[in-house]
Order: sequence, then C-alpha cells, then structure tokens
Amino acid sequence: MTTDGNLRTSLNNVVVVEVGDQMGDYAALLLAGLGAEVIKLEPPEGSPSRSIGPFASPTPDREQSVFFWRYNLNKKSVILDVDNPAASGALGRILGKADILLMAGEYFTVARRLERCRSIAGGNRGLITCAITPFGLDGPYRELKATDLTQMALGGIMAVCGYDPDKDNNYDTPPIAPAMWHSYHIGGEYAAISMMAALNFRDVTGEGQLIDVSVHEAVNTCTEIAIPTYIYNGETVLRQTARHAMPAVTQMRLSVSADNVYMLASLSPFEREERAFVQLLDQIGMEHVLGSPEYAELEKQDRRAALTYRNDLIEQAVASLSAEEIFRRAQPLGLAWSPVRRPEENLEDRHFAARGSFAEIYHSELGRSLRYPGTVATDGQAPHMHYNRRAPRLGEHTEAVLEWAGVTRDEIASMRRHGVV
Amino acid sequence: TWLQVGPQATRILASFGAQVIRVEWRKRGAIDFLRYFAPFAPNHATADGGRAQGAAHSSGMRGNFDRGAYFNNTNPGKYGVTLNLNHPKGRDLLRRMVREANALCENFSPGQMDKWGLGCEELRKLNPKLIYMQTTGMGKTGVYENYVSYGPTAQAFSGLTFLSGLPEPYQPAGWGYSYLDHSPGYFGAMLMMAALRRQRAEGVGAYIDMSQAETGLMLTGTSILEYQLTGKKTTRYGNRMPYRDWAPHGAFRCAGEDNWIAISIQSDAQWQALAEEMGSPAWAREGKFGSAAGRKQHEDELEAKLTEFTVQSDRYDLMNRLQARGIAAGVVQKAADRFDRDPQLKARGYFVDLPHSEIGTWPIEGFPAKLAASPAYVGGLTGRAAPKLGEDNEFVYHEIFGLSREELAALREEDVI
Repeated sequence: MTTDGNLRTSLNNVVVVEVGDQMGDYAALLLAGLGAEVIKLEPPEGSPSRSIGPFASPTPDREQSVFFWRYNLNKKSVILDVDNPAASGALGRILGKADILLMAGEYFTVARRLERCRSIAGGNRGLITCAITPFGLDGPYRELKATDLTQMALGGIMAVCGYDPDKDNNYDTPPIAPAMWHSYHIGGEYAAISMMAALNFRDVTGEGQLIDVSVHEAVNTCTEIAIPTYIYNGETVLRQTARHAMPAVTQMRLSVSADNVYMLASLSPFEREERAFVQLLDQIGMEHVLGSPEYAELEKQDRRAALTYRNDLIEQAVASLSAEEIFRRAQPLGLAWSPVRRPEENLEDRHFAARGSFAEIYHSELGRSLRYPGTVATDGQAPHMHYNRRAPRLGEHTEAVLEWAGVTRDEIASMRRHGVV
Repeated sequence: TWLQVGPQATRILASFGAQVIRVEWRKRGAIDFLRYFAPFAPNHATADGGRAQGAAHSSGMRGNFDRGAYFNNTNPGKYGVTLNLNHPKGRDLLRRMVREANALCENFSPGQMDKWGLGCEELRKLNPKLIYMQTTGMGKTGVYENYVSYGPTAQAFSGLTFLSGLPEPYQPAGWGYSYLDHSPGYFGAMLMMAALRRQRAEGVGAYIDMSQAETGLMLTGTSILEYQLTGKKTTRYGNRMPYRDWAPHGAFRCAGEDNWIAISIQSDAQWQALAEEMGSPAWAREGKFGSAAGRKQHEDELEAKLTEFTVQSDRYDLMNRLQARGIAAGVVQKAADRFDRDPQLKARGYFVDLPHSEIGTWPIEGFPAKLAASPAYVGGLTGRAAPKLGEDNEFVYHEIFGLSREELAALREEDVI
C-alpha cells in the first residue's frame, strides 16, 4: 500500500489555541495527533485538568496528573490568564495567528470568554471558534451544573447500562456510567469532527465560524435502539449485564473460562455462526445435539429451551479452556468472541505491537518512556495519528510561543508584573 | 457498509452535504441486518403519515425491509441503490462509480472486497485520488487481521467492557450499547475529512485501515498509564469517583419505578447545600461526613443514608431543587424522558423530523453541534430519512452516472441491480 496518503501531518499548518477545562482536552488531543500545533493557554495555577487523578506522585501535584498526561500529548503550554484584561494584547496576537480557538467549560465562563475573544480577534475572519459546553450555548438547561456523571445520566447512557433485573424486571442495582470521563470523549470526538468540517468549509470559502458543541446532545446520540423503540413502539428498553439494552431481557451472558477470565461468547442470529460453533464443539470434543433433527424439533417446540441448551453449551465450552485458547480457536472459525481484557493486557498484545497502536513517549523527568494509545487507523503500513511529545509542564512554552506571536520581551516582563503570565 | 459501525461515518458526511450513495444487495445473506432488526414502523404507518398515525405499542411489527426503525435512524440523508457485487457486471458498475467518487467506505468482513477484486489497490488504479476507508474489528494489518468482531467484541478486547460496572465480586456490567460501533464512525468521518482536504489541495488519496479495537484503546489511556507506573491492575469503581474526594457521587433511587438521579458533590459547600435540602438531618451533621475525605471514607454509609432521602423524592423535582443550590444533579433519563420531556433537546431542535418514502415522517436523532456557517443537517442532500432498498437506482445510475434507461432495464433483467 502506498503511504502518500498518511494523515499524520495533515493538519501541520493548523494552529489550535485551547482554553478551558477537561471537556476540551480530548478534542484538541485528536487534532494534535494529525499534526496540528496545539497551544494550551493556562491560568497561573494551571488548567483544571491538572488536578484530576490518578497522580504519578504520592500526593496530588499539577505536574504529576496522569489524566493530564494522557490527554495533552504533543501540546504546548503557555501561562496566560485569558480572563485578565492585561493579557488582551498578547491574546490578540496569538489569536491573530490561530486557525482554531477551542474553548471548553461551563456556560458562563465560555460565554464570557467568547465575547472577549470576539472583540480581540475580530480581524481574523478565518478563525474557527469551537465552544464545548455541557448543554450548548442556548436553551433552558444551558446554565445547569454538570459533571461527567450527571451528563451520562441526563444524556441517556446510564439508563441503558447496568445489570440484569430480576425475573419481574425489577432492579436492585443502579444504572451505570460505563467509563469515567466518557461524556467528554463523545463530546470531544464530535467537536473534532465539527472542527474538521469547519476547516474544509474554510478551505473553500476563507470564512471561519462558531461551532457550538453540546455534550448533552453528544451523549444522546449513543443509545442506539432506545429512542426508536420508544418512538415507534412506545416501549422502554431494559438494561442488562454486558449486552445491549432491549425491550425484553435476552438470554446471553458472560461465560467464565478455565483460567477464570470473563469471556464474551455469544452467537448472532446468523446460520454461519451456529455452524462455526458446531465446528468448535467438534474440535474440542464436546458432545452435543446441535444440528441434529432432535435439536431442530426442540427449536420448533420450545425456542427458549433450545436457546438455553445452546447457551449452556457455550458456557461449558468456555469453561473447558483458557480464555486465550478459546479466543485463538473461535476466531478463525468466524466467531466474534473475545476475552474481557483489562486495558493494560493490550500492552503486550502482538497485534497492537505490529500495528504501532501504542506510541512510546519519553518522559525526561521520569527518565523512562511510557506507552500511550496513539492511533485508531493505519495507512496499511504506518499509523495515521502520531504522538511523540509528553504533555507539557505548566508554562513550559510561554516565552517561545509569545515570541512566536510577536509579543516583545518588554511586554512579557510587564505582563509578568501583573501576574498574567 | 452495513450494521452500525460502517454507516455511521457516512451518516455524518451526509449531514455535512456529501452525496452519499449507499450500495446494498437485496438477497438473503447480503442484506443489511439492520433492515430486519426490530423495532419496526407500525403496519398502519404510510408514506403520507408516519408518527402522526401513532406508535405501535408493540414490537415485532415486521413488514418488509423498508420498515426498520433503527435502520431509518442510522441511514438518513443517503441515496440508496441495489448492486449485486457477486455479478461481474455489478463489479464493473461499482468500478465505474468509483472512478468518479471521492471516497469509498466499507466494513465487510476483512478480505471480502479483495475477493471481489475491489480492494483498495485495485480501485486506486482506477482512481488514484480515491480515499478508501475500511473498518474492521481489529484492523486490516497486524496479526489478527482476519478476526471478526462486532462492537461488543472489540469492547471486550480493548478493555472497555472490563472498565464498566461495580467493583468485584460483581461481574463487568459492560455497555448497553456499542460505543465501538459509533466511535470508528466518528473517527472515520474525521479522518476522511482530513483526507478530503488533502485530496482537494494536493490531489492525493488515502487508505484508512480503521480498527474498532484501537478506537477503544484510545479511551483507556489513563488506566494503561497507571498500570505502567504502579503495576496496579485496573479495577472498577461503579459510579464513584476514585480520583478525587468527591462523595456522594453516584446514582440514587427516587420515587417511582426504576427512577434514579445522579448526584455529584464536589466540595464542602455543595455538601452543606445538599444537607440543607434534606432538612439538615442529624446524620448529615455527624463529624465523619464533615470533610471530603471523611465522606469518601464512609461512602457506603453515606450512600445508604442519602438514598433514604432520595427514594422519597420525585426525581425531576429533586434535580431542580439541587440545581437551584448549585449542585450537579441530573435525572437518569430514559428514552421517553429524553424524547417527550427534555426541554433542552426540544429547544435545540435535536430531533429532526424526516420523511421516509414508505413509513412516512419520523423523528431522527440529529448532530450534536451547531455550526454557524455550515450547519449539519441530518437529512443531507436527500432531505429524507433512510432510503428504501434500491430507492434511488434510477436517479443514481441514470442521472448521476449516465447509464441509459435501456441499460438499466437490462441490468435489472440480469439481476445486477
């Protein structure tokens, strides 16, 4: 495959100025992976995401936030308090050279900064401004307080994630937010798409624009059949353990392997999968009646009993071997089965090593490298996304960036006296 | 493309005005599973009506391949054609379309397009500027290139399933939907738009080998780093916040059937406000709950006590009262709550009514951002919800690609389209 279309440098001439909290970190990280120069403007005490754990140090330290490390690779850090009027001159010059201004945070903060930046950067008609807020810049909820958890609740994902109800469909376990910071992941991915669309639009027209991303709506896009099931059939889907929320409780379940690993092993309603499963059972020498007239009769008489029999067989097959062994045997037969891995188990996986899925990033302060998830796609040979610099220390690039923007040394000294940088 | 993970990227591109032609085949085994996946539009819903004619209040009203509700929500704004790729003339017709296309997206089993002689290498000989995006479970290169995956498979493999749920001994709760059927579509749209800029500026194409599993890895970075630094295996936290002294932080039962509210207390002041809202009960004034660290340390007891209060409260009323006190609180909204009640989604026009040629007008989920100058419109160029199977054969083959009506009739006769 040719590599002329590798996208790792596709945003090389794009300058992104990022201001705000953890809602915007991921969106800018994605653009940085495609070559954009991301400049993070931070207040003197550091961005809010520097105070989110886990920490590499025994006690919280703004330079040791592993959360901040993960979401700020390849970025530059500039101390510039954008809320301080004394920063206006420097901010104006930076925005004059920027392609994208990304702002994230609560409505009040973002709206105030938008207003301010609009007056400062008015001359840059190609500037794309992307605002990520919990609910969007208008509407009755725009001022509501939110955290990642409450966004996952209001946005509808929690209602479809959790554990099985009892036989009367009553729940004794709460709805679950399936991963931490996930609402910001979804919002970040949609923000990145929107910025990319705006860059395309600007290429053709020369015009920038305002993008108003609502994390609430982003979360809402993800619940699959929940909304159609309600709109078309008036039914509410039920959350169920490790499988899709459906109007009725389905029979599949996680199985446990001989080495005590949960295994996602189920069959979709395709004949080829049932045939593959029979092959697997034959391979491992397990007796069964699948495919026999006896089973066909059972399916006709009592479909639920037939399914239970088949699911029991899956459970027994999984219990007879180690998770990796089942995985290695089932997959070549066309069964989309997988062990439920801990994230870190993928660090040693040959497949990801072969694809270059992890980026090796050197941390000079640690004197060692750490491996970060670093791409979602390749061009057939190399990853399309590229990360090679650890997250910046607070203000690591202040002088270099301000000088690049044309701020004089005297001005920098003056701002320093005012506590702006 | 088929299912969810393939059509997602092109759904987004259609929203931004791309002319998206959805290629399908009508024979059993080739037809998109989502076309016969419940729920279905009620039997009485017609082209002139739709939702106005009422919901079905039952599932399984399966009519034909054009009545699937989820398919309708997944494929709006696209043109739909039928094309038999098992027929040499079908493959020729695809080649003819590819010559004039900017991009092709597929998510068949790994290697299927190569078997047809329609792999990236072949097609780029015809159109060197082509952007070819292929989405597979693991990614086309690497050692598992032929492994098969649905969203849940890639979630289990990448670590996302493990991360979700209550701490052991509970099993993983997993995900009630497939984020990894969405995220590769998001990344796909993003990368294709990056490639389109290059195609426009430099005249080069791109091959995008998208891996569902890798899009999952992207979300697990913090766990992976923590493991490398401490050797500590990843564990689950339920809805609690392990990385800050935020407590209570979870979903709490409210009055009514399976009703819950999420509450996040981030400071002492917020805790005091919550205590006041509860009427300052004696337990809330106990010393052990006085500090963030104390609340975190006694979180089990804290949650049990808080639930005694929330379970007597109406969920929306409680949310409003807590919000008025500056506390992050949100109802765990179900589909009905979001669709019928959520004033924010209404005000922002999140649901977009779009017509479908057989089942009429139904609300379709929109794009979650407003772009002032180039707004996304989920109806795309067609102004329609999903296409019927082969609905646009005439328009696409005749008007766009210039086949004569006689040629079309012959191809139809030979079971090519």
